[in-house]
Amino acid sequence: MAAIYARGLTKRYGAGLALDGLDLTVEAGEAYGYLGPNGAGKTTTIRVLLGLHRASAGEVRLFDVDAWREPARAHRRVAYVAGEPSLWPSLTAGDTLTYLGRLHGGVDEGYRAELVARFELDLRKKVRALSKGNRQKVQLIAALATRADLLLLDEPTSGLDPLMEVAFRDCVLEAKQRGQTVFLSSHILSEVEQLCDRVGILRQGRLVDEGTLSDLRHLVAQTVDVTFDGPPPELRLPDGVRAERVGTTGVRYEVTGPIRPLLVALADQPVRTLLSREPSLEEIFLHHYGGRGGD
Amino acid sequence: MTEATPGAVALMARQAMRDARVRTAAFAYLFLVYGYVQVRGYRGTYPTRADRLSFAAGFGDNAGLRLLYGRPYDLLSVGGYVAWRVGGVLAVAAAAYGVLAAVRSLRAEEESGRAELVLALPVTRRDRDLAAGLAVCAGLVLLWLAEFGGLYAADAGGAGDAALLALAGSLTATVFAGWGAVTSQLAATRRGATGLGLLGVAAAFLLRVLADTVTGMGWLGWVTPLGWAERVRPFAGARPAVLVLPLVATGALVLLAGRLAAGRDVGTSVLPARDTAPPRRELLGSPTAFALRTQWGAITAWLLSVAAIAFVLGIVSDSISSADVPADVRRQLAKFGAGSILTPLGYLGFVFVFVVVALSAYACSQAAAARREEEGQLETVLAQPVTRTRWLAGRLTIAILALAAVALTAGLAAWSGARAAGVHVALPRLVEAGANALPAAVLFLGVATLAVALVPRAGAAIAYGLLTATFIWQLVGTLLGPPRWLLDLTPFAHVAPVPAKPFDAVAAGVLVVVGVVSGALGITAFRRRDLRGG
Repeated sequence: MAAIYARGLTKRYGAGLALDGLDLTVEAGEAYGYLGPNGAGKTTTIRVLLGLHRASAGEVRLFDVDAWREPARAHRRVAYVAGEPSLWPSLTAGDTLTYLGRLHGGVDEGYRAELVARFELDLRKKVRALSKGNRQKVQLIAALATRADLLLLDEPTSGLDPLMEVAFRDCVLEAKQRGQTVFLSSHILSEVEQLCDRVGILRQGRLVDEGTLSDLRHLVAQTVDVTFDGPPPELRLPDGVRAERVGTTGVRYEVTGPIRPLLVALADQPVRTLLSREPSLEEIFLHHYGGRGGD
Repeated sequence: MTEATPGAVALMARQAMRDARVRTAAFAYLFLVYGYVQVRGYRGTYPTRADRLSFAAGFGDNAGLRLLYGRPYDLLSVGGYVAWRVGGVLAVAAAAYGVLAAVRSLRAEEESGRAELVLALPVTRRDRDLAAGLAVCAGLVLLWLAEFGGLYAADAGGAGDAALLALAGSLTATVFAGWGAVTSQLAATRRGATGLGLLGVAAAFLLRVLADTVTGMGWLGWVTPLGWAERVRPFAGARPAVLVLPLVATGALVLLAGRLAAGRDVGTSVLPARDTAPPRRELLGSPTAFALRTQWGAITAWLLSVAAIAFVLGIVSDSISSADVPADVRRQLAKFGAGSILTPLGYLGFVFVFVVVALSAYACSQAAAARREEEGQLETVLAQPVTRTRWLAGRLTIAILALAAVALTAGLAAWSGARAAGVHVALPRLVEAGANALPAAVLFLGVATLAVALVPRAGAAIAYGLLTATFIWQLVGTLLGPPRWLLDLTPFAHVAPVPAKPFDAVAAGVLVVVGVVSGALGITAFRRRDLRGG
């Protein structure tokens, strides 16, 4: 039974199309990275999964439960961290955790106390006096303390300082080890690279690519930086290889597909150094967003 | 100052006016219609001098009416009557407007952080405060135009006196805008500043009531801005010089606000804001319990103020002895639809109509509060194992319980007041009068819920609009004499003036059924739509 299952999921807001026949499956126990730029439909996906917004077409299930029809049953196994924390300004952080914990039920209070210590949260402070990062901590602790089977995290580290980001990663890795499913929507690619087994890339409401990181790397050019003993020779480039001069003696080759033809071509050339690099997730990401990768 | 962006003040003032446009338009509408209707009503009901003489003889000294409207100076001319009936009520409304407008453009901007955003631009704090002041003044000019326009269109008498009457109202608003500017410096939150501001309005009203109803305390009228508005006496030997008082008071309050503002950091307040609190675990077990926790303060405030007002109404309920009132005046009064208000029970039946309106407004405010939660934290709640039905039904239950508590308190307090004044009315009759306010409130609760479910953004405004429109229609309709079915369109036509008349169980039943059905439809509609945040 999949933790998240969506088939042909479409969501329209008036004339606008936010999700366009999305197919998505996340197996129980998996950590899935959900990537996309602002406005690609990441938050919409989560809202429809939770049954907060209704799918215009298609099928959605969380652990085989339709959250639109049976929200309480579906949410019992889910913990959600929203991108924009909306909490009660006049409640203290501690009372907020109590309230959310009682609403969810099944909170491990010992673990929650441990999380409060790890995230260094002051429970006596009212939410209105907390900074954005500290409000984010309240949400994270409330979600993690439920030990829910599925963690739906929507850009969970926005506003956190680097130390707290590390604490967050440790907690999510522990959750993974316990067998909890993690759905991490983000555009912080290093975070996704560290935490997730599988990655989906969303563009204009549909998945344009999906797979393990090594799967994705095969589809994207890898980079080979070569310097020569003198001016670079004129090579007859094999198919799938593009060259770009770097300085007076260097060339950067972008290789799509097998790398062997390029190595054969370079074999009898005066190569001084050769550095080959797998594409980073960032490059994979930019590859899918082509011309508008700069921002 | 040369470094500041040119035209920044005008831009900021325009933005502040845009933010306030809905509220300003609603108040302007009230000011326009209320004045117009009162003029036409008086002329139609008391056409001859004889009618007016007998009305003045019966009501000139009625403490119950003085409490609501203030002291009459001349009940024989249209203008004099209108100055009494319109001036007092609209001065209170203008005072509330002044507080709301000032707090909205000062404290609300600071609390939300928008002020910080603006002040990080090449704009000084002075520019911003000036822009806020200009925006508030523009709103007040509009209110003046509306009140004057209504009176002038209905031909209340001299244009000069009408302008003066409207000016007395608007200058009351400037005083309270100044007071709102002060409370915006004192309190850290919009809610706190508004509460403190309205407390000032209530105190001013209380002083005015004491001055107008208690012998020997008339001098108190010179202490309260609402008393000043009264003492301008348009249409009855006008004394425009009195308007110097609100001008001086406004200046003093604005200076005080400026001094307080200059001495503090942006975003902070003079009264310390408590940023930490010890844990309070009660009423956190469910969304319904939590709604009670957040509403507790507001419900208590409602209970106390309704109790105080009803108690006073009970005390003054015997202030007319029917022997003084000629028979033809009684007949004229019957045209207002309230029956005879010349007996204590009759008077209470008449004033309890306002309890019905107040409870209906509270019902609308509860649907509006649910909508505000949807704009804010509801997504967080509904991502937990909580269904929408459970959340909304819980909120509505709290609202109904609060309504019932307020209604019964009104009856009990009015009875206590009457007893204290030595009037003998049966307790069950007044409890019944309180309970009689519930069906209409349930109706508005259901309709407002449906409106918020169907049209999330405008729903609350639609509900308040319906309430205002139907109540004004109830007041005006009887004077215009349209076909019966047109009058029956307003729910208030079906609320019997208990305790003057017996409780109308059938009509009450119909109101409740319509309310419950609308509420159930509202819950269903809410379950079927997307959650709409802010």
